[in-house]
Amino acid sequence: MIRRRSFNAGLLASAALPLPAIAQSTGPGRKGGDVIIAQQAQPPTLDAQATTAQASRNITLHVYESLFTRDEGANPKPELAEGVDISADGLTYTFKLRTGVKFHNGKLMTSADAKASMQRYAKLGGSADSLKPVAAMETPDAKTLVLKLSSVFPGLIEAISSPRAPFVIMPEEETGKPVGQPQMVGTGPFKFVEYRPDSHVKLTRFDDYIANTNFQQRDGFTGKKTAYFDSVTFRFMPEGGARTAGLQTGELHVLESMDNAAAKRLKDDKNIRAYTMMPWAFMTLMLNNNFGLTANVELRRAIQAAADLEEIMAIATDGLYRMQPAWQYPGTGYYPGAEGLAAYTKQDQAKAKDFLKKANYNGEELQIIADNSFKPHLDAATVLSEQLRAIGMKVKLSVMDWPTVMASRSKPEGWNVWPLMMGIEPYEGPYNVVGFFGGRQTVQIKQDPVIEECIQELATKLKLEDRQAAVKKFQNRIYEQAIALKVGDVGIIQATRANVMNYAPYRIPRMWDCWFA
Amino acid sequence: MLRLIVLRLLAALPVLLVVSLVAFGLTLLVPGDIAAEMLGPSARPGDMERLRRELGLDLPPLERMAQWYGGLLHGNLGRSVLLNQSVTSAILERLPVTLSLTGLGLGLAGTIGIPLGLLAAAKARRWPDQAAMGTALIGLSLPDFWLGLVLIWVLGVKLGWLPTGGYIFMSTDPLGWLRAMIMPAGALALTQLGPVARMTRSAALEVVELDFVRTARAKGLTETRVFTRHVLGAALVPILTVLGIGFGVALGGALVIEQVFSLPGVGRLVIGAVLRRDWPVIQGGLLLTATVFVLVNLLVDLLYLWADPRLREQA
Repeated sequence: MIRRRSFNAGLLASAALPLPAIAQSTGPGRKGGDVIIAQQAQPPTLDAQATTAQASRNITLHVYESLFTRDEGANPKPELAEGVDISADGLTYTFKLRTGVKFHNGKLMTSADAKASMQRYAKLGGSADSLKPVAAMETPDAKTLVLKLSSVFPGLIEAISSPRAPFVIMPEEETGKPVGQPQMVGTGPFKFVEYRPDSHVKLTRFDDYIANTNFQQRDGFTGKKTAYFDSVTFRFMPEGGARTAGLQTGELHVLESMDNAAAKRLKDDKNIRAYTMMPWAFMTLMLNNNFGLTANVELRRAIQAAADLEEIMAIATDGLYRMQPAWQYPGTGYYPGAEGLAAYTKQDQAKAKDFLKKANYNGEELQIIADNSFKPHLDAATVLSEQLRAIGMKVKLSVMDWPTVMASRSKPEGWNVWPLMMGIEPYEGPYNVVGFFGGRQTVQIKQDPVIEECIQELATKLKLEDRQAAVKKFQNRIYEQAIALKVGDVGIIQATRANVMNYAPYRIPRMWDCWFA
Repeated sequence: MLRLIVLRLLAALPVLLVVSLVAFGLTLLVPGDIAAEMLGPSARPGDMERLRRELGLDLPPLERMAQWYGGLLHGNLGRSVLLNQSVTSAILERLPVTLSLTGLGLGLAGTIGIPLGLLAAAKARRWPDQAAMGTALIGLSLPDFWLGLVLIWVLGVKLGWLPTGGYIFMSTDPLGWLRAMIMPAGALALTQLGPVARMTRSAALEVVELDFVRTARAKGLTETRVFTRHVLGAALVPILTVLGIGFGVALGGALVIEQVFSLPGVGRLVIGAVLRRDWPVIQGGLLLTATVFVLVNLLVDLLYLWADPRLREQA
């Protein structure tokens, strides 16, 4: 028997990330204009389902929509679905689709498109493992999609609503195409015009867009969206100085991110508005629990005690940070609190030296690997190196490019410490944060039995309190065993020209519901 | 001459073969692949393996090598998954940007550098010589990325004369194209000015005391005429050599300039491909760069024949 439940009660924790300040709204919006956004990287692909890259998400989430997505506070909310009925045993999910929604090619969206899109995702999606529990997909009518699970997975709605590698819905005829090949046809407020690699992507307003009247206004990735700009151009500009210069001269209207130093320099510029989003990411130091020095828990504790976390954050982020030790954001549904963590996060060099003695440390070299593609990673590694040298450790810092670091860190040996900012994972909630530390290719290389238990409980416990307890247990274990170090929360600054009205910063620079003055 | 061209082109084939082998060898030696770029650091192993399979990244190296050379023999450099287009069309699309940037930059360097070198030689060891060589040295000493950023700040932000970056296609707006290219080409030219001016000066000084120059002066020709007609003609071979080498250096400099000014050229294509491990593009880019070098060297050799009648007779 199917019992209707509210999609965010019971099975889901209601998250509530702090809402960023919304720019001044000056009455009704005005249509027109080509808004130009600059972003550093170009998308690895515009196949939204197949990539977790921020550079792709910025663009594709203007074109595509999903059954469920996240609201302003990162809670799962319906987008192309009216809602979901979840059976009491947690094994059947029935999605009622919104009616009258059109694709950019003029075709009406039906459950056949939703089913084919989900099937494509299960085959090649960036988080396809999330659909493993789905045993069958059925379409009893044109506006109903039913997912039948072989085992309970209370994180299903959180998974399919995540923008990480979004579960977007595309026309059925596009779903048979391999990675990177589908025509970019979605249901979003903007439609695709052209992609010139190394230059730009251009979108234009979809005038037949059917806004979601279940909402009053824009709400995260969902809500009642209205496109005002005639077109949106995403330009790819690798050089930060050139991006800032373009905003100053008015050649660009929106920057996906601006470094803190530039924001301070331009704070009195009346033509520019800077918006701070805090938090944006975790800054972490991953430790290899399998190899060499850091296989020894006492030595990992020595690193934990030797690290001055605030010094690392201050330097690595140019001052755009907050000290927050928990492995979830405060105010969200799975926030495990920070009680008792001060003992682990306070720098104590004498204690660190005691741990070194207990570990029988004898001057062996600690291997830190860091990439030079993301400045905060390298800065964090450099500062930590000095802090460890200060307690008498021998440290080797190897700097590589991002793909080399990614390949090196997945090897079981050859590295001890790896700094990493986790951006989208903590925004999603606990599943990909806790999940990162489990499974056969866990980030700390050696599986931890307690964390494996936590992952299992998160995946199977139907009661929210049980899953919250699992996250708390995970956090305690990480600190007690010094499995990895949470350094702090990193912020980001998005910036616009002053004539871009009603802009609100978010995980992507949203170009709906804002307009030119 | 035709025989010379054919022989040189045939001699280039082993060079290109070695380059292609090195390019393929790099794919085996350098860690990382595009699946990791697409899925990020927290990808689950199952998702990563699935994508690698979808993209054919799990094929054994020998099979990939056979596929690549098979395609190459049919004139097919492969396909970039990240760009969703063939490598050949990706390169051909960007080649005009890089060639026009390099050509404009080198043209500017030659147009300013050769007269500057001749002036320095005509006024050797006097203040115009020192001023000209000092100017050339400044351009040579400045890093091109820094020069680019300073130009953006001064000409783009402060004075607002030129766009700060981006590319406009010549076919859509020729004037816009020129405005977009002036700063990057100028930055490239400044770095190439030094070698051209200094080589022109030293080559001119080598011939300025020779009999035919004295004869030209004795005929009553003006110094300008003597230098532009007689000295420059005799000094042209080493200047052409420097311009030929400069083309290669400028092609390298274009990689940086394209990044700074956000120009969609071959340099940016290859840098992006290296950073994301888009191997078909890296292989194609290396092969193309080697081919361009071979062709430019051949062109310089042909220009030697045009510039020096003695070489023409030997050929």
